Amino acid sequence: MKSYVLYPGCVMPTEQYAYEMSIREVFPLLDVKLVDQKGFSCCGEPIKSVNQMLSLALSARNISLAEKEGLDIFAPCPMCHLALSESKRILDSDPAMKKKINNFLADEGLTYEGKASIVSILDLLYDIIGIEKIKKLAKKPLNELKVATHYGCHLIRPSEIGRPDDSENPQKMEKILEAIGTKPLDYPEKLDCCGGLLTANLPESALTKTGQKLQKVQEQGFDAFIDTCPWCHRQYDSKQIKAGETVAAKLEVPVLYLTQLLGLSFGISSDKLGLDLNLSPVDKLNLGGK
Amino acid sequence: MSIIDLTSMGESQVNLRDEINERLSRLQDEISDYCYQCAKCTSGCEAHKLLELEPHKIVALLKRGLIDEMINSDLIWTCMSCFKCRERCPQKVAPVEVLFALKNMAVASGKQIPGNYTAMLQSVLSIGLLQDVKNITTRDNKSKNRSDLGLPEISKPTDPTKFQMMLSKLAVEKV
Ligand code: SF4
Ligand code: SF4
Repeated sequence: MKSYVLYPGCVMPTEQYAYEMSIREVFPLLDVKLVDQKGFSCCGEPIKSVNQMLSLALSARNISLAEKEGLDIFAPCPMCHLALSESKRILDSDPAMKKKINNFLADEGLTYEGKASIVSILDLLYDIIGIEKIKKLAKKPLNELKVATHYGCHLIRPSEIGRPDDSENPQKMEKILEAIGTKPLDYPEKLDCCGGLLTANLPESALTKTGQKLQKVQEQGFDAFIDTCPWCHRQYDSKQIKAGETVAAKLEVPVLYLTQLLGLSFGISSDKLGLDLNLSPVDKLNLGGK
Repeated sequence: MSIIDLTSMGESQVNLRDEINERLSRLQDEISDYCYQCAKCTSGCEAHKLLELEPHKIVALLKRGLIDEMINSDLIWTCMSCFKCRERCPQKVAPVEVLFALKNMAVASGKQIPGNYTAMLQSVLSIGLLQDVKNITTRDNKSKNRSDLGLPEISKPTDPTKFQMMLSKLAVEKV
């Protein structure tokens, strides 16, 4: 069994509870132990527009906290994963910057060393655990659900920082979804952005981006829309009705976290996966079965 | 500590502005060498159709040194950080990074921070997180919190004073 420090970030542990619940249920079944750690803060990515140095320092701080455990870090939120990875990349290649940042961290008795790897949801599921293991655990038939994937911009770009899948043709989510008996299909809008980061200053435009993509997904007859990012999920699931209004459409697309669907396939009860927290019409899928 | 420390025009901000200026002029040098205005960045820009952002023009304006004009414009705040421009530029220019630097400069120069950014920043400074834990509503309208759902206590900075000390230094220190 391999252990990782779970770095939860902000959005998942303050409101996107279904992601956290399903993560905590699914990974132990896949022989991955998640270790909780006190003291984490925001990764800084969402406030990069305000002060980029602040983001760098916040990420370095979080890595250094986890490093005390001597374990690698699992950051399920793609935005956190990008922030931590970018910070690591800068600090590992620029000793002067590392020294300066460590100067700040000293106030809290922390030191960034650069020993821990930063692992994303796809690194963990696809590259570390692997499709075979997932296939073995899949028991509940998912009836060849026709599913559309949404990776989220930060999971696949910028590739220069090192991202877990191809920036223009990501397929790891599809492979995972095939392994549990669903039918993922590519669609033209697959790489479109949810607009979530505009929520801070242009919330209407953010919802329009969300609505435009989801409307296309609905028109193409997908059964479900699968994501891995708490920011994206908040747009597509939590705010689906409002997003629909911006494009004058009645949207009824079931939206699930990848880990929720994995959990269902592994036979975990929908309660434990937080399925009642999805605000989109997931009942349509008849996957409940408590 | 308040948000003022991060955004005021005080002495301390001079160093922060110097740092951003350095970043901008570095970007300016690289860009004058490499960007050939092919507009591939704009063709895939997520904010282009909806909000009329044209990243290739941002690069062109930077080349001409029209930084004040840009930091006074709302347009720089329409970027949704999708990183497509950076990914797809044939010349490895990253308009999104120019936009980050411009927005940082706008804030460091005391321009108004748009929308909810102030609240987000304040929350990070006081509790370490973008927002505090919320009660959420299920599909059948029941209110739930972390402990109802069997989730452990949230991880956040254990000593807010020390945490804030670090952040306040950051806003003023030249790095
Ligand atoms: S930044 Fe890159 S993609 Fe955009 S116009 Fe310049 S060279 Fe072309
Ligand atoms: S990162 Fe910003 S400027 Fe670049 S393509 Fe995306 S929205 Fe446009």
